[in-house]
Amino acid sequence: MPAVRGDGMRGLAVFISDIRNCKSKEAEIKRINKELANIRSKFKGDKTLDGYQKKKYVCKLLFIFLLGHDIDFGQIEAVNLLSSNKYTEKQIGYLFISVLISGNSELIQLIVQSIKNDLASRNPVHVSLALQCIANIGSKDMAEAFGQEIPKLLVSGDTLDVVKQSAALCLLRLFRTDPSVIPSGEWTSRIVHLLNDQHMGVVTAAASLIDALVKKNPEEYKGCISLAVSRLSRIVTSSYTDFQDYTYYFVPAPWLSVKLLRLLQNYPPPEDPGVRGRLSECLETILNKAQEPPKSKKIQHSNAKNAVLFEAISLIIHNDSEPNLLVRACNQLGQFLSHRETNLRYLALESMCILATSEFSHEAVKKHQETVINALKTERDVSVRQRAVDLLYAMCDKSNAEEIVLEMLAYLETADYSIREEMVLKVAILAEKYATDYKWYVDVILNLIRLAGDYVSEEVWYRVIQIVINRDDVQGYAAKTVFEALQAQACHENMVKVGGYILGEFGNLIAGDARSSPAVQLQLLHSKFHLCSSMTRALLLSTYVKFVNLFPEIKSHVEEIFVADSNLRSADAELQQRASEYLALSKLTSLDVLATVLEEMPPFPEKESSGLLNLLKKKRPGRVIENPDRLDEHVKKEPRETNGTSGLTLASNTEQEGGSADLLGLGVPSAGNGNGPTTNGAGAVTNNIQKFYCKNNGVLYENDIIQIGVKTECRSNLARLALFYGNKTNHPFMNFQPNVSASPALSLAILLQVKQVDSTVEAGAQFQQMVNVECVNDFDEQPDLNLVYNYNGAPQTVNIKLPISINKFIEPTEMNGEAFFSRWKNLSLPAQESQKIFKAAHPMEATDSTKAKLIGYGFQLLENIDPNPDNYVCAGIIHTRSLQIGCLLRLEPNKQAQMYRLTTRSSVEAVSQHITSVLCETLNLPFNNQVE
Amino acid sequence: MIGGLFCYNHKGEVLISRVFRDDIGRNAVDAFRVNIIHARQQVRSPVTNIARTSFFHIKRSNLWLAAVTKQNVNASMVFEFLLKVVEIFQNYFGKISEENVKNNFVLIYELLDEIVDFGYPQNTDSGILKTFITQQGVKSATKEEQAAITSQVTGQIGWRKEGIKYRRNELFLDVMEYVNLLMSPQGQVLSAHVAGKIQMKSYLSGMPECKFGINDKIAMDSKGKPAEESKTKSAIAIDDCQFHQCVKLSKFESEHAISFIPPDGENELMRYRTTKDISLPFRVIPLVREVGRAKLEVKVVVKSNFKPSLLAQKIEIRIPTPLNTSGVQLICMKGKAKYKASENAIVWKIKRMGGMKESQISAEIELLTTDTKKKWTRPPISMNFEVPFAPSGFKVRYLKVFEPKLNYSDHDVIKWVRYIGRSGLYETRC
Repeated sequence: MPAVRGDGMRGLAVFISDIRNCKSKEAEIKRINKELANIRSKFKGDKTLDGYQKKKYVCKLLFIFLLGHDIDFGQIEAVNLLSSNKYTEKQIGYLFISVLISGNSELIQLIVQSIKNDLASRNPVHVSLALQCIANIGSKDMAEAFGQEIPKLLVSGDTLDVVKQSAALCLLRLFRTDPSVIPSGEWTSRIVHLLNDQHMGVVTAAASLIDALVKKNPEEYKGCISLAVSRLSRIVTSSYTDFQDYTYYFVPAPWLSVKLLRLLQNYPPPEDPGVRGRLSECLETILNKAQEPPKSKKIQHSNAKNAVLFEAISLIIHNDSEPNLLVRACNQLGQFLSHRETNLRYLALESMCILATSEFSHEAVKKHQETVINALKTERDVSVRQRAVDLLYAMCDKSNAEEIVLEMLAYLETADYSIREEMVLKVAILAEKYATDYKWYVDVILNLIRLAGDYVSEEVWYRVIQIVINRDDVQGYAAKTVFEALQAQACHENMVKVGGYILGEFGNLIAGDARSSPAVQLQLLHSKFHLCSSMTRALLLSTYVKFVNLFPEIKSHVEEIFVADSNLRSADAELQQRASEYLALSKLTSLDVLATVLEEMPPFPEKESSGLLNLLKKKRPGRVIENPDRLDEHVKKEPRETNGTSGLTLASNTEQEGGSADLLGLGVPSAGNGNGPTTNGAGAVTNNIQKFYCKNNGVLYENDIIQIGVKTECRSNLARLALFYGNKTNHPFMNFQPNVSASPALSLAILLQVKQVDSTVEAGAQFQQMVNVECVNDFDEQPDLNLVYNYNGAPQTVNIKLPISINKFIEPTEMNGEAFFSRWKNLSLPAQESQKIFKAAHPMEATDSTKAKLIGYGFQLLENIDPNPDNYVCAGIIHTRSLQIGCLLRLEPNKQAQMYRLTTRSSVEAVSQHITSVLCETLNLPFNNQVE
Repeated sequence: MIGGLFCYNHKGEVLISRVFRDDIGRNAVDAFRVNIIHARQQVRSPVTNIARTSFFHIKRSNLWLAAVTKQNVNASMVFEFLLKVVEIFQNYFGKISEENVKNNFVLIYELLDEIVDFGYPQNTDSGILKTFITQQGVKSATKEEQAAITSQVTGQIGWRKEGIKYRRNELFLDVMEYVNLLMSPQGQVLSAHVAGKIQMKSYLSGMPECKFGINDKIAMDSKGKPAEESKTKSAIAIDDCQFHQCVKLSKFESEHAISFIPPDGENELMRYRTTKDISLPFRVIPLVREVGRAKLEVKVVVKSNFKPSLLAQKIEIRIPTPLNTSGVQLICMKGKAKYKASENAIVWKIKRMGGMKESQISAEIELLTTDTKKKWTRPPISMNFEVPFAPSGFKVRYLKVFEPKLNYSDHDVIKWVRYIGRSGLYETRC
């Protein structure tokens, strides 16, 4: 409020100073009560108050409200103030209303009317006040009441610039509460053209508005790209003297530049070469200007300049298309790495992390490795060090892995506690990913445990054991190394775990050396035994019993340990059970039995340590910088042991969910083991319906009690499903009733024929039910399987879908390129095409899995006919009873953006849509080896 | 085990800070200020736990008195101690105020050193404290005096020293009672009780032994008095009572006789509470009529209900008004009435009123219409007064003084008994 002398309110000032002088809360409340009573009597009084008095009392009420007291009157007076012609009175009225009026007040009509009057006023100040009030309230009501008028105000020719500015911001506020407020169509171009306005303030306000609009509807506002680029280039190329009011410490319009750069980040790089060239020019100019000597020593100057620079760099990273710009950006960031200003160092490291993921600038980033490592060591601010670790992780690849891992390990010793756990995970991931020599890997992880044992999570040491077990060549080395590591006076419990496990498996490999004879090994491990938790002790007991097998000569020592009271009579049930069972086992005379039971562990299924990555993501949701996947195929796929696959066996463990296979089949005391399955079947439930789009056979559903398998055979428009029901328990299922049904709409499209089955399923038994399906018409639903049975007296129900979908009736069709593209063009009506763009959930390099999925889905994959070799092209014919539906598909990967574009064309609209949506989901499912 | 004692003014500035045990650091002073005095919301609990440290506080006229401890202490002991501290301060320098505390802070530290030892409360009897902590200049006691003080403080009768002499042996007894009442608008008693205490001033020579008789039911029955006497109204049922330490409890338990050697000067001899057969001195009859949304008519009648010969004093009736009152018109027959906006109430004061009389006030309250849907909650009408009798019916039956060593007898002692009945929380719903 302009503090005009003589316009101040004395009564208000006195009141406020009274309150400030109150000695206690009680006194303050008394004073307020008195004032409220006074105002009430004034408002109630019959003689009319003049504007000044009203303003004064409303002001007092506002002050009391802001002190935290409830105000439930005075609204009428405030609304009356709105109709005043004096600026101060109107302003106070609006202030009171925007602070105090609740959305559902009865007065809202009156207020809306007043605002309308002011909006139509000739006086720009009144219009601005009204706009301000609308924005401050910003409710749905306001959006409805003024959604029509504000856009008019915004684009009208005779509105003042100041008002336009307010209108743009007000509209932005309303748009956030109610996105439907912005009219589409003709308004779009007019709003976009605000970017061309002469007044910089209007452009700045409009840029914010357009940015919000673009986020909602990028296609419609595409026109803003070229305008934004040209506006940006005008700002960038101008000298700072051109924008008198909008130059901030010699930087021309920094806020507007930042906003425009942000706006452009909503779109991929412009396609029009002219615009594109101009944008590159702009960005280059910004980079050039940043190199110029500063025009002022003031901090504000460099702040503004750097703000524009960093935003430009993030746009360069976003576009990711101009190698030379990326490299330049990287070099400029490099200069900031050793800048005096902590914030700049932080920002530089953060941006570089993203740059490292781009293929063009990865090499450039690597040049700064020395500086970053130095920053890690010398930086005082922990958050900057954190960024440095992130960057090291991101820039790591095969060539520098060894050095970076070494540096990180060295740093770990002195690292801040808050980032240790994350660093440990990163080291573990990098070591595994880029390990060329497994001895090195084992060394690194053992070092990790030694240095920061507390922060090594289970997944990390599970992983090292998995790898050691799967690789014959390192086993001996690993055993030797852990043996040496265990000789340290104090070693971490995780080290004992790893040591125990590895010696238990491969202790024989080093037993030849007298220094590490079996007895020494046992003694060494047992010296740690009493310092460990019961989990570790349990693991060590397993190790000991394995020693019994490996080294029969120390059997008596081991038995002594088992017999010891602390084990055989341990308070811990798990320890006690193990001790007594292992003791009984070791007393068995038959060596054969012993050797079979205590055989070396079979190799673990090979997979990426996705568990670790997930863990990393969980720790820092939303801000994990990926280590770019330049992974060499160092993990050769070993042939997996396949279970005899005739039909389905109950024991076949089809999926291993999650990354961390419980390699301590022994190690982790399992909860309800031996209690039998819980009767309500609330245990782990697997429902694999999603996966059946691409495969025909497998386990459809599984819980503690029952397993349902499916085998599908299809020929033209007929399909036969064999459903296998397996009873996993020791009790028979009674009253077993599988019920296959289709919804009314679906039953018109397919015909189902279901064989009846026995009502009893014996314990542990499995039997099969046949379902015949005929496809009459195209469909997009799936039939239901409703299973009801009694288990152990308790009724159980299972409701699942049957894996019958339209693609089961696709016949793969071979054709050459010419035929494909002529058909493709024939199906060019919009209704026949369905297109979707989606983010790739898996590395795009895994073409094999994508191919397998497409073939599994039922298409013929047509190779080498598309001009772009990366694209997948497929064709197939869907057979129904009445007609045959031709179906063509193109899947175009965009590796830079990690996106896919999937286009399906077929003669029936519903079919293309269904296939597109299903395939989108399916392609994002984790790939499963067992697709047949 | 009290760890420390702090005293703050209303702004939270520390006036007195005395730490008795090492486990209380300096930061405890700030912790209390930040978390309680300057708390965003008013802290209503008198006990607060901040970072494993317990704070017990009381507030006296804008001063905060807080005891701090890290141990698990008996909270009621700590509060008893705090109240004693307040009492000692009042005995030494009158009203507790920031000014007085600042002027007497040397004395206060001296007192604190005396009444607490390593966090354990010691002798807090101001009568005894006054014998060796004086406000007059330094006067070193002679060896004999010192020996006398030591033997008295550590002896069996620690509350009275030997060799007191008065020309006139006098004894004053004040029976003070506070009546608490909650009454429904229809005149039904919802709850009523009396909290009473007997204040004694004794100016007696030597080491007199006193016997005190009251009209308590149990005491009178145990005396083996004829049944018809205890049947009369004069016996009252005391729910619970507590005595000054000078009363021989063993004798009270076995013979139901109150016998004691009184401390010299002013002391509280007994405290008690009764809930049955209370004669309520006043009856308040409210009449509230809502005339539309903008007006309220209130009529309150007060009836006095005791012997016409007695006179009640300092009568004050407080009638709460709605929060949206915009104006009040008052008419009253007797006394003065005023609308106090700062307290949202009408206050009606009557200086004196005889027994079996009645008086009334009528008020028209104008209301401002507001947008809140909340209805006025109608808080109860409260009342203050003072009457010259004990509403519980408590009577002092006799008080006998025996002093075998000195030559004065029970008849020579001049005894005064006074009854005062005051209002506690005396409320009538409307």
